Amino acid sequence: MTINHFLSTFAGLPVVAADDEKSPGDPGAVAWRIDMDYDSGAAAFTTAFGQLLDRVGPGGPTALIIGEWGEAHDTPFPVEVLIDNADRLGALRSLFIGEMSFEQCEISWIQQTDLTPILTTFPLLERLWVRGSQDLVFKKRIRHEGLRELVLQSGGLPAAVVENVGGWDVPNLRRLELWLGVDNYGGDATVDDLAPFLAGRSLPSLTSLGLRNSEIADQVAAAVAAAPVVARLTHLDLSMGTLGDAGAEALLAGQPLTHLHVLNLSHHFMSPELAERLVDELPDVAVDISDPQTEEEWGRYTAVSE
Amino acid sequence: MRLAVVGNPSHRRVALFTDAVRRAGLPAPEVYPWRDVLTGGRVPGPGRLVRIESPGEDAEVDRLLRELGSGRPAVTAQHGQILGTAAAFAGLRLALDRIAAGGGELLNQPADILTMTSKPDCHALLASAGIPVPPALPPISGWAQLRASGWRRVFVKPAYGSSASGVLALTASGRRVSAITSVELSGLSLFNSLRVRRYDDEPSIAAIVDLLAPDGLHVEQWFPKAVLGGRALDLRVVVIAGRPEHIVVRTSASPMTNLHLGNARGDVAAVRAAAGETAWRAAMETCVRVAELFPRTLQVGVDLMFGARWRDHAVAEVNAFGDLVNGLDTHGAQVAAICAR
Repeated sequence: MTINHFLSTFAGLPVVAADDEKSPGDPGAVAWRIDMDYDSGAAAFTTAFGQLLDRVGPGGPTALIIGEWGEAHDTPFPVEVLIDNADRLGALRSLFIGEMSFEQCEISWIQQTDLTPILTTFPLLERLWVRGSQDLVFKKRIRHEGLRELVLQSGGLPAAVVENVGGWDVPNLRRLELWLGVDNYGGDATVDDLAPFLAGRSLPSLTSLGLRNSEIADQVAAAVAAAPVVARLTHLDLSMGTLGDAGAEALLAGQPLTHLHVLNLSHHFMSPELAERLVDELPDVAVDISDPQTEEEWGRYTAVSE
Repeated sequence: MRLAVVGNPSHRRVALFTDAVRRAGLPAPEVYPWRDVLTGGRVPGPGRLVRIESPGEDAEVDRLLRELGSGRPAVTAQHGQILGTAAAFAGLRLALDRIAAGGGELLNQPADILTMTSKPDCHALLASAGIPVPPALPPISGWAQLRASGWRRVFVKPAYGSSASGVLALTASGRRVSAITSVELSGLSLFNSLRVRRYDDEPSIAAIVDLLAPDGLHVEQWFPKAVLGGRALDLRVVVIAGRPEHIVVRTSASPMTNLHLGNARGDVAAVRAAAGETAWRAAMETCVRVAELFPRTLQVGVDLMFGARWRDHAVAEVNAFGDLVNGLDTHGAQVAAICAR
């Protein structure tokens, strides 16, 4: 499966193209989306980014989506464009790097880079979303008091990234979403690598945990069923993965989940019986068991990998 | 003047055209089977207004085309096998010459059919006319040359293939390669599958490309298509007598939008709204300009892609036999255009 849609809102703000001719009114009340043509070079992105900053004015956008930066299948995200313009990005609170459709660049091909400077340069950043994890790096010892939401969308999230993010000191992080992906595309994280998140000690503010798009979803579910962090969560998301009856049984047999507001298990391989039991046993939880999948002869697929 | 059609008599293409002619109150067209044309049999003569239909989807006709084109005995292809596309094209050229020599008045011109069927020729014609098309490589001999080209995200198409047959959506950068295709590699043979699959290993991809290469390859940049409602899309615009009024949206979760690959039709009005009137009109204008490059051919099927940002568009292919579109009466419109001549 593939990604073929774009956000219409980000950080609660309507998305507006950077080169949209119509004025959106207050430039701080929209999420700006900058997106280059597939064959444009690095200089074009730098120029277009400067034009966006000119358009938005002092402080820059509060919310920014960066789509195709030009040959993203081959060219790492030019993080320095953001860093070099830091003095014009004082208002930046929400950032999504790499929102591209499958047609523009498949998720497994998006060439990321060391994004640590984003966190060290923008201490007021509250929301960071990243798509693609080819060559993605985050350093381990990061303290960031601003960050409230971290979403890493990947067809195969490297264990090194999971491990390092697990070492962060992010006392205000409320929402963490990791698309673990498949081993074939670099997703070699194991359940053991998730231990820091599941223990929850380093994430005192966490209320929403997503461990999505995983080909080890049954193991993840079993670990979650006994994870201390779960007691604090309102949202638990194990969707888009290969969750089957083994994972469902682990969730049913594990710690109580009745305090959750939302349990998202969509795109799953559970039998109808077990899926229904989960719904029945959690009457006050919005349990999403939509999009059931059928195992094919070559196995179970996650929702997004390639 | 009496209508005639050269086609495969049992194919619904012929039935649909015959039906449209009858509905217009005209005598049913005389059918000239491709098998006869290819074996030296009769062709439509003077006083006949001739529609040339696709010779496709008939294993014996395919074999005869390859035999005629190569001048050597040809074996029947197995079901779905990609075999001898260059020879079949050469055979088509000779067969169209025979039809033209018969003296009938042709509704679609042999030279136009050949240009549209040859992807390199069609691309070159469109590019020279200023029609937006993705950049293409000069002819290449195989995988090694493709890799050496430095082009990293491309569509590889057999020069004389039809629909998605033998097409690969390929990305290659550094040591990593991936290809999305409906081609199935089986030993040293290639088959079209109805399932779009992915290859991640260079030896398989190289083998496929090198098996396709002797019949000619056409390599274009992968033009990222617009997406809507969670699917990538393009348009098949059948331009009949200069009018781009028969349009189908083809949507897909894979880069191949061809409808026989389990893909779905989309909503023309929704696409038009997403594109905006300016971009939509520009796209239709392009389709009309494409048809004007084939002025003596009654209809052409233009595959038009909107770009990822809906700001631009490009022509993926032009189909000489692209008017078989379920639910749209392209045949009735053509008969009406013939009657209005």
